[in-house]
Amino acid sequence: MSKRSITLTVNGDPYEVVTAGTKRLIDVLRNEIGLTGTKEGCGEGECGACTVLLNGDPVNSCLVLAGQLNDVEIVTIEGLSEAGSLNLLQDKFLEAGAVQCGFCSPGMIMVGYALLTDNPKPTEEEVREALSGNLCRCTGYQKIVDGILATAEAMDSSPLRPLSERVEA
Amino acid sequence: MKYVGTSVKAVDGAQRASGTAQFVTDVRLPGMLHGRILRSPHAHALIKGIDVSRAAALPGVKAVVTHEDTPGVSFGPITAFEDWQILAKDKVRFEGEEVAAVAAIDEATAARALELIEVKYEPLPAVFDPREAMEEGAPSINGRERNIVMPFKLERGDVDGAFSGSDLVIEHDYFTSQVYQAYMEPIAAVVRPETNGGFTMWLPIQIPNKSRLTYAKALGLAPEDIRVIKPFMGGAFGAKMESDVHLVCAVLARACGRPVRIALSRREDFVGGNPRVPMYIHLKMGFMRDGRFAAKEVEVIGANGGRTVYSPPIVATACYRVDSAYSFENVRSVGYSVDTNTVPTGAFRGFGNSQMTFALEGMIDEAADKLELNPVEIRLKNAVPSGFVSVHGWEIMSSGQAETIENAARISGILGRRSRAGSGGGTGGGVLRRGMGLASCNHVSGNKAFFPPFDGSSSIFRIAEDGRVQVFQGECDMGQGQTTVFAQIAADALGARLEDIVMAEVDTQISPFGLGSFATRGTTLGGMGVKRGAEAAKEMLLQAAAEYMGVEVSDLDTEDSEVYSSKDPEKRVRFGEIAKDFMFARGGMPLLAQGYYNPNTVAPDAETKYGNVAPAYVFGTHVAEVEVDTEIGEVKVTGYWASHDVGRAINPRLLEGQVEGGVAQGIGWALTEDMVVEEGLNKNPTFLDYRIPGSRDLPRVVSDFVEPVDPNGPFGAKGIGEPALNPVAVAVANAIYDAIGIRFRSLPIRPQDILDALEEQSRQR
Repeated sequence: MSKRSITLTVNGDPYEVVTAGTKRLIDVLRNEIGLTGTKEGCGEGECGACTVLLNGDPVNSCLVLAGQLNDVEIVTIEGLSEAGSLNLLQDKFLEAGAVQCGFCSPGMIMVGYALLTDNPKPTEEEVREALSGNLCRCTGYQKIVDGILATAEAMDSSPLRPLSERVEA
Repeated sequence: MKYVGTSVKAVDGAQRASGTAQFVTDVRLPGMLHGRILRSPHAHALIKGIDVSRAAALPGVKAVVTHEDTPGVSFGPITAFEDWQILAKDKVRFEGEEVAAVAAIDEATAARALELIEVKYEPLPAVFDPREAMEEGAPSINGRERNIVMPFKLERGDVDGAFSGSDLVIEHDYFTSQVYQAYMEPIAAVVRPETNGGFTMWLPIQIPNKSRLTYAKALGLAPEDIRVIKPFMGGAFGAKMESDVHLVCAVLARACGRPVRIALSRREDFVGGNPRVPMYIHLKMGFMRDGRFAAKEVEVIGANGGRTVYSPPIVATACYRVDSAYSFENVRSVGYSVDTNTVPTGAFRGFGNSQMTFALEGMIDEAADKLELNPVEIRLKNAVPSGFVSVHGWEIMSSGQAETIENAARISGILGRRSRAGSGGGTGGGVLRRGMGLASCNHVSGNKAFFPPFDGSSSIFRIAEDGRVQVFQGECDMGQGQTTVFAQIAADALGARLEDIVMAEVDTQISPFGLGSFATRGTTLGGMGVKRGAEAAKEMLLQAAAEYMGVEVSDLDTEDSEVYSSKDPEKRVRFGEIAKDFMFARGGMPLLAQGYYNPNTVAPDAETKYGNVAPAYVFGTHVAEVEVDTEIGEVKVTGYWASHDVGRAINPRLLEGQVEGGVAQGIGWALTEDMVVEEGLNKNPTFLDYRIPGSRDLPRVVSDFVEPVDPNGPFGAKGIGEPALNPVAVAVANAIYDAIGIRFRSLPIRPQDILDALEEQSRQR
C-alpha cells in the first residue's frame, strides 16, 4: 500500500503525517497524532460521535480519508479547552446536565460549537436540527439542547470571543 | 446537608466534556496489538475443520487462536447454566458466535488475516422462535430437554377461586420485541498478559468483581490472577456484563505475550452483544367491579439465544416482579427461557420487568375502560402504601406509588385532556388524532437473588495529608452519574467540601469487592456503602482531632473539610492538618477507614420464591401524549410527563437526566427499534437501519419526584435507572388507544401496523 505525506493543522498545531491515503481521519487523529478525545461510535457516519471541524465545518471524521486532507485545518474537542479549563459551551453542558456517559459529548460539543459560530441565537428547532446527525443514548437530548441554548443566552453579540472565554473547570 | 438534594455539576464531567476522559478504547500500552474475532455466519452449524495456516503466515500477524488454544472449560455468567466456551467447540449456535481470533500489528492486518481463516461448516437444522424450539422434535441446541433452559413456576393464593369470583376477566397474548441497548461506546477490551500467568484487563464493565470470578474459571486461573480496571464507560444499560470478547482478548494476549486491544465495530456489536429477551406473554386477569385486581395468571416464553447469559432470571423477573407493584393476593406464573439459534439475550434496563409492565399496564388500561373507571382511580385502588408486605414477602418500607399516580395525572392534566376514542369520544375525525395514556411501574432497588453470597456494599476512605478525601468503592459508573451521587453522599456524611472528594476508579486490585451496577442498586446499596465508610472516617478523624486539638471528642464535629469545636467555634482545624499529624506520628500510615452496609434482604426461596429481594422498592407513573397520523400511520410522541418515587432526590438534575434517557429508550422500543432477524441472521445491524430516537424524535419530558424517604437508603434515597424505562412503551400504547381506539399488544408499533389496524377497524365498523 502506497503511503503519502500529508500536512495538516490540528488545533492550531502543524503536523506532518505519513500514511496511506485510505486511512480515515479519525485514525489519523487518534492513532497517528494521539488525540483520543474524538470517539468512534459506529464507523459509518451514522452516530456523529467522531465529529470534528474541517475548515470550520462539522464532519464525521470516520468518513474523511487522509488522501482528502492536505493543508486543512482541523479542530477536535481537545482544541476547545486549554490547560485544563473548559470553554463556555462545555461548562454550560455540565451545568445543564448534558453529559452523562460522555461518549457522544465530544461530537455533540463540536456540532454545538459550529452551530453557535454560525448562528449565535438559534431557536430550539434549529438546535435540534443541528444535532440530528448525532446520536445519544443516555440523555434523550433535552439537556444537550438546553446546554446549547444556555450558551447562546450567555454569549454576547460577538460569538467567538465568549466561546473562547475560559471558565474554571 | 450541603450537597445532598442539590444539582451539583457532575464531578467527572469536565473530563467527559473535554475529551480527556479515558475510555477503554483510548488505552494505549507499549507493544499493544490489535485483535479481531472471526464470528459464525451461520445460525446453527457443525464446525468440520478450521485452517488457520494462511492467516498465521500473513506478515504482521502475531497469533491466530481457535478452541484448541483455550482452556476448553465450560463456563457462564450463571453457574447453573454454564454453556459458554471462549471459542466455539465443534459447533456454532448463533450468528456471531466466536470461532477464531487474530492478533496483529494493526487493525487492517488483523482484518485481512480473518479473511484467510478457512472454516468448514455443515449447516444444521435451526430454530429461532422460542415457542417452536419447545416443541417435540425441534432441533436441539444445547442438549436440553425441549431446549428449555429454565422452567419457572409460582402460585400464591386461590387463583382459580378468585377468577370465578371476578366481575371481569380479560385474557390476551402480548409480544415484546428484541431490542438492542445501543450504548454509544461499543464493547471493547484491552488485556495485558502478566508474567505470573495472570492478566490485567481494562474493561467497560458493570460488574468487575463478579465477572472476574467467571473469567478466572474460563481461563483456568484463580480470581486474584486477574486484575480488572474499569475506566470511564460509555453507557451500558445492562449490556456490559460478562462478555466473551474480554476472554478472547485474554487468550490472544497470552498466545502472543503482548497486550491486545479489541474494539468491536458497531455492526459486530449488534451480534456480539446481548440484546433484550424477546417475550411471548399470555396474561389473564380478573377484576372486581370497583377496580380491585382479583387474580392474575401469566405464561411467559422468552428466547435465550444460543447460549445462556441472563435470560433465566429475566424470565423469572417477568413472571412475578409486577406482583409486588400492586396489592395482588392471587397470582400464578409459568415461565420458560428457551434456547434458540439467535443472538444470546441478556439484561437491558428493566430486566424482564419492563416486558411484563407492557402487558400488565395495557390490560389495566383496558379493564379501566370496561369498568368505566379512569386510569388513575383503578391504579390508586390497588396501589401499595409504605410498610406494605407484598404477596411474595417483599417488604416495601417506603412507597410513593399513589403520589406518582396522582402527580403524573395532575401535571399532565390527562383526566381532562383524553380523547376517549376507544369509548366513542371525539377524535376530531381528521387525519391527525391526539391521545394520552398513563402507565405505572414498580422495580427493585437492589436484588438479593442476583449474587447469592451477599448483596451489600462497602467503601474505603483515605484522608490524605493534603486534605483530599479519596474514596474507593467497587460499584460502577457507566455514565449514569453514580460517581457524582457518591461524592455528594461522601461529602455530606463526612462534612467535607465536594471538591475535596476524589472518587477512585474501580480497580479490583484496590477497590473493595463491589457487586457493580445492575438492578437499580447503585444509589441505594452503593450509596449506603459510601455513607458508612464516610461515617467511619469521620469517627476516626474526630478521634485524631481530639488528640491533636486537646479537646473532648464529643465536642467536635466536621464542616467544609474542617473539624471544629461546638463549644468554641473559633477552634477549627483543616482535615489535612489532622491527617498529616496522624500520619507523621505513625510512620506515614494513612488515615484510613472503611465501612459497609448489609441490607436486611432475604433471598427468594428456591421453591416458593418467597423472600424480600431488595432493601428498597421504587415506583413511577408516566403519561404520554401522542399524535397519530392516520394517513401515513406515523406516531409522534408530543408530550411526556414522568413522576417517580426516588426516596429522596440526591441530585435532581441527574435524576431528570436518567428519566429523560429512559423515556427516550422506551419511545424507541415502542415505535422504531426492532432487531430484524430472518432465519437467524441479523438484518439491520447498523444505526441507519436500526433507528434509535434522534434529537427531533422526542418531546420534552416533564419530571416530578416523590420523596417518601426510605429507611434503607442513604439519606432516604432509592434508585432510578430501570423504572425510568419500564412504563414508557405501554404509556405510548395506551395513548395510541386513546387517540384511535385500537389497542396494540405487540412491539414495536410501526406505521404499517397502525395502518393495517385502522383498515381492520374501518372494516369492522
